[in-house]
Amino acid sequence: MSSPNEHAEVAVLGGGPAGYVAAICAAQRGARVVLVEKDRLGGTCLNVGCIPTKTLTTATELLLRAKRGSEFGLSIPQAAADLPAMMAYKQATVNRLVNGVAQLLKARRVTLVRGEARLIKPDTLSVEDDQGKRQEISAGRIILAPGSVAAAPQIEGIGLPGVMTSTGALEIETVPRRLTIIGGGVIGLEFACIYEALGSKVTVLEMTPSILPGAADEPIAKRLQILLRRRGMEIRTGAVVRRIEKAGDTLHVFVDGADGETAVECERVLVATGRWPNTERMGFAELGLRMNGRAIAVDERLATNLPNVWAVGDAIGGWMLAHKAMVDGRVAAENSTNGQRQADYRSVPNVIFTRPEVAGVGLTEAQARAAGTEVKVAQFPFSSNPRARILGESDGLVRLICEAGSGRILGVHLLGPHVTDLIAEGALAVQMGATADDLAWTTHAHPTLPEAMLEAALDFRDAAIHFRSQ
Amino acid sequence: MPKYLETTVDKFTFRVATDRLYTSQGLWVLGQTNNRVHVGLTDYLQQHSGDVAFASVKPAGFKLATGDQLAEIETIKALVEILSPVSGMVVEVNPALDLTPEVINQDCYDKGWLVVIETANWETDQTKLLEASSYFEVMQSQLQEELKKR
Repeated sequence: MSSPNEHAEVAVLGGGPAGYVAAICAAQRGARVVLVEKDRLGGTCLNVGCIPTKTLTTATELLLRAKRGSEFGLSIPQAAADLPAMMAYKQATVNRLVNGVAQLLKARRVTLVRGEARLIKPDTLSVEDDQGKRQEISAGRIILAPGSVAAAPQIEGIGLPGVMTSTGALEIETVPRRLTIIGGGVIGLEFACIYEALGSKVTVLEMTPSILPGAADEPIAKRLQILLRRRGMEIRTGAVVRRIEKAGDTLHVFVDGADGETAVECERVLVATGRWPNTERMGFAELGLRMNGRAIAVDERLATNLPNVWAVGDAIGGWMLAHKAMVDGRVAAENSTNGQRQADYRSVPNVIFTRPEVAGVGLTEAQARAAGTEVKVAQFPFSSNPRARILGESDGLVRLICEAGSGRILGVHLLGPHVTDLIAEGALAVQMGATADDLAWTTHAHPTLPEAMLEAALDFRDAAIHFRSQ
Repeated sequence: MPKYLETTVDKFTFRVATDRLYTSQGLWVLGQTNNRVHVGLTDYLQQHSGDVAFASVKPAGFKLATGDQLAEIETIKALVEILSPVSGMVVEVNPALDLTPEVINQDCYDKGWLVVIETANWETDQTKLLEASSYFEVMQSQLQEELKKR
């Protein structure tokens, strides 16, 4: 059964950060826009990704700070997690933000259509709602933003009760005594820090030789690994998970590592082995949409091989980050409304909400050297930053990857307190081609964490004030 | 010969182990069989540098010429660049440094060793190193220099 057709100038498939931003921007530019979403607005990020995990990160950090109250001269005798209340706070925050997106779309007169969409022609989407009712949306321009799904590795026993994905890990009712996390990437380590704060004994199993593979400057990743181990977290790298078995209430995770096969015992297992582009069952293959593995292939203007069809966000692969997806959305919105903009990813920061936090933008030291650049790394530790000392969070450092001669900042890599905020200055520096001297002569307020950026910039000329190299 | 030469300045005692060789920059080198040497920081260098927070040492397999960067020691007040006193290849890094880097401050001549290097030119390299008594004199003059700065 088909209802009357909807017509739009721009139709967007998917209401996550890439899709809703594309819809709003296209509408700002005067287009009549239809957005199709099968689930809740906000996609993975708002519903089961960035936002709920960061509410738990924030709540658990507050818990840990409360427990350290005596260091600051405070008496907080019974700081403890109230799990149902914490989950309610998380859900209320998510709901407020999801409603906010709905309001923004409404204010821009974007028509929201609920249902699962298929691309049946390069200019037509077929949408089926949860009642089985179908309608067609024809559009001069289509932006595909179907997002990503959790990767499902082939591990025997992965379907056992007690084995969960990140979505399940956001909905726990009790804190497991022992948690094993398969995957030492961004998602795995963020949850490792949340559950550690709640009291779980956490073991992280990472297949590659280092945690955060491909997601951080190597010395930063190595230092985070040491800091987590110093706190008592068990991190095994080069560990390949073979199978999971259950005996009574205990899960046994069998791992191949340097010492042969060993088993890790725990009550819960979190599988955090990354995400894949969500590109199946939407008619893409049937229409000959060009793919790059699981990802939709696009050019520098995010155009696909189909006429007047663009693709954005996690579905085109690369860095699966909400803020990168939002940039994609803006680029595709411009290009689908007579614009000519290329996607520019030079200043896309990567942020990791571990404890301490990790953030980076631009080239890593290894990438800069591999490109044949003569590199000078300028650095400064947070232990010498007064604000970090006041906060009682002085682990970490600033690393500026500079071109040796000019001092041009090629990359900024941070470990430490609030560095997910501090990286904004690094992103601006990289985007504008700033030099270490530019940063060093930009006055930074005292006493603040960004002073560590200034001091690192001074270190380019071996001239840090509050630290000495010898 | 006593196990240590020592001097006390301004209530701080500085010791120099007599069983090994030194560089004037404050590293000790203890020769072993198979041309393998242990390398570490002297008591003076560890006290001068402060409490060690991190030690980043070149990994096993890394090849070095004399004077190449061997390690960076981060203390709460300084980043200390450690240059290799010998040429050769790193064969072992002290596994205690990751979790308990303070071992450098607590026991610099024994448990706080940095690295084992398989030397490429030990016969030549060792002639450029200082005997304990010579280093003891160098260290004393470095201490006097510091006192003058105060």
